[in-house]
Amino acid sequence: MKAVKFDPRTKIALLLFCILCTTFSGTLELQLILTFMIAVFGLLAGKYKYAVLGLVCYGVLWGTSQLILQSLTGIWQAMFAAFFALVHKVYPCGMMSGIMIGSTKISEFMVALYRLHMPRSIVIPFAVMMRYVPVVFEDWQYIKDAMKMRDVTPSIKGLFTNPSMTVECVYVPLMMAASKTADELSIASVARGIENPNPRSSLIEIHFCVQDWLAVFVFLAFFMTTLALRGGFI
Amino acid sequence: MIHFQNVSFRYDDNGDGAVRNLNFTVKKGECVLLTGRSGCGKTTLLRLANGLIPNYFSGNLEGKIIVDQMEVSETPLYQIAERVGTVFQNPRTQFFNVDTDSEIAFGMENKGMDSAYMKKRVIQTAEELKITNLLGRNIFSLSGGEKQKIAFASIYAMNPEIYLLDEPSSNLDVISIEALRQQLKLLKEQGKTILIAEHRLYYLKDLADRIFYLEEGEIKESYNCQDFLKLSDRQREEKGLRMMEYKNSSFCNQPQLFQKPVLEINDLSVGYKKQAVRSNINLAARGGEIIALLGQNGAGKSTFCRTLCGILKPLSGTFRRNGQVLTQKERRAKAYMVMQDVNYQLFAESVEKECGFGIKNPDENKICTTMHRLGLYPYRERHPNTLSGGQKQRTAVAVSMMCKKELLVFDEPTSGLDFDGMANVSKLMGDLAESGKIVFVVTHDYELITRICTRIIYFDACGQMEDALVSKKTLPDLMGFFPTQKDLFLS
Repeated sequence: MKAVKFDPRTKIALLLFCILCTTFSGTLELQLILTFMIAVFGLLAGKYKYAVLGLVCYGVLWGTSQLILQSLTGIWQAMFAAFFALVHKVYPCGMMSGIMIGSTKISEFMVALYRLHMPRSIVIPFAVMMRYVPVVFEDWQYIKDAMKMRDVTPSIKGLFTNPSMTVECVYVPLMMAASKTADELSIASVARGIENPNPRSSLIEIHFCVQDWLAVFVFLAFFMTTLALRGGFI
Repeated sequence: MIHFQNVSFRYDDNGDGAVRNLNFTVKKGECVLLTGRSGCGKTTLLRLANGLIPNYFSGNLEGKIIVDQMEVSETPLYQIAERVGTVFQNPRTQFFNVDTDSEIAFGMENKGMDSAYMKKRVIQTAEELKITNLLGRNIFSLSGGEKQKIAFASIYAMNPEIYLLDEPSSNLDVISIEALRQQLKLLKEQGKTILIAEHRLYYLKDLADRIFYLEEGEIKESYNCQDFLKLSDRQREEKGLRMMEYKNSSFCNQPQLFQKPVLEINDLSVGYKKQAVRSNINLAARGGEIIALLGQNGAGKSTFCRTLCGILKPLSGTFRRNGQVLTQKERRAKAYMVMQDVNYQLFAESVEKECGFGIKNPDENKICTTMHRLGLYPYRERHPNTLSGGQKQRTAVAVSMMCKKELLVFDEPTSGLDFDGMANVSKLMGDLAESGKIVFVVTHDYELITRICTRIIYFDACGQMEDALVSKKTLPDLMGFFPTQKDLFLS
């Protein structure tokens, strides 16, 4: 199946709807439907593995929450329910952001944000941030190697058995690498005229098409339903 | 094209790299090489020419700089960027997009050019620079050399009149450097003006029209290429400069071999997730050897080193130390890698604490003697990140001594270093070997190899491994390990 191309603005709109839906929705069933919709969107956008995995993980989470609600009582139930409620609120938005970042090129984002009349002072830092995410993963690989050679285990276990050292090992080099990378990145982009005040163009053109209208409509409809259910209109 | 008149500059933090009394003119179509020791002001000079000073870096600027009829200090950066393109040192941090096509178009996008034109120009750029195979790729999956080609293409696509390059070769292997040379040749043919700051000189031999030698922020001498080549090795080394030509250098490396430790590797195959990158590795090494590990990108050098240091599990085969099989954990305890970017492996808040980091009840006396031995004692209170590159390397080596490591792997320790830096690294490796350790060094640095290495292991592209001792006799063979550069080395 060939991936459907969505306009970055659509993705931003859908993310907004996700946030609104999780804020207003009352029941777990609605969250499940929302996550399912996000997964379908992910499949359409070409993030197959991510979408399936995201849905399966959420399924497990959902099952566990249901089990806890039914089998536990009293203080235990309250404790777990509170924790899981938070996870349920965050999960769909996180999943949507992942699909959004994974399926959109940085330059597309920049054009989209400029079309939405966002100021430069927001767009450029945002683009640098997106560019920086994969660098963190690369840095992390090197730091892991370095830790192993110093006999510090880069794992969850290490975090419990030797917390201060593990944290120090991760954040010190990561911070140092980050400040250097950010600096060099900005220099390289400034030297190629990123600050040019004239309208920026894009190699990849973006258009709002049928699929975008459809996606926005479906999510909007879902959001309206959520609101209606909450207000007791249905 | 470029005109500097009585230019002096000092950074706000009074750090290295201040320049004084710069007076020179570069004509259209000229290629000028800037060289000199680290911190001599080469980079500062380039930043003055592309407007990063004073627009991005602030400090005290005097004098007048005219570049392509623009008064640099009064022109906004984006306007200078249209006519002056800069290629930087680190391929990892100079691209902004994740896909190659957008990256090549990045400068044109900022300028607001028409999309149809950009599409044409991207393809034209790729064809002229012979990188059509890199179009449509994810930049994070490219090698360092390929990244640098994209960075170059991104500038080339904007078609500036002036090109500034800041140590573009320092993270490249021999083959990528040759590609860079070809690109520069193309620019010269097109009549572009080029200013290039570099430590590695050999690849610019036929390109540079003039060579400026900088010392402490001043242009001390200006040579044409013939005169520069006439400098004797001694004069060159006194100036802290790297070789301009690869020729029969002196071999002083007679290894003093130790009985122990002896490392034996049998039928080793290394790789990730069951997929072998390199198989049939057989070798034996003894304390006192300095082994250069050569090969192209992707030949499996780093996979081998990571396995050697116990970070990766081997797919098959054994490691033995003095006859005893080493487990992964034991290798990790005995081997240590000094990474190319040492910053990743320094964790503590002072050099002294770094030496004892992760060790239960560290021996204070031993930390002291180790720091003295490596010349780090005056810096014991300093944060490792405030040290120079060479000092950081030595701190990492101090750590390896504290942990009683017997085998050290250096990953590209001389990339971007001037002659003095290279000489220091080779002395450090020599000292380690003299104390009976086995030293491996992954490198593309011919000068370092002939200076200190006793043996070469070459991973070729077809899965074969060659193993040779370094001596005057094997020099022709040694040059064979740098295939595309053969004629350059022998000239």
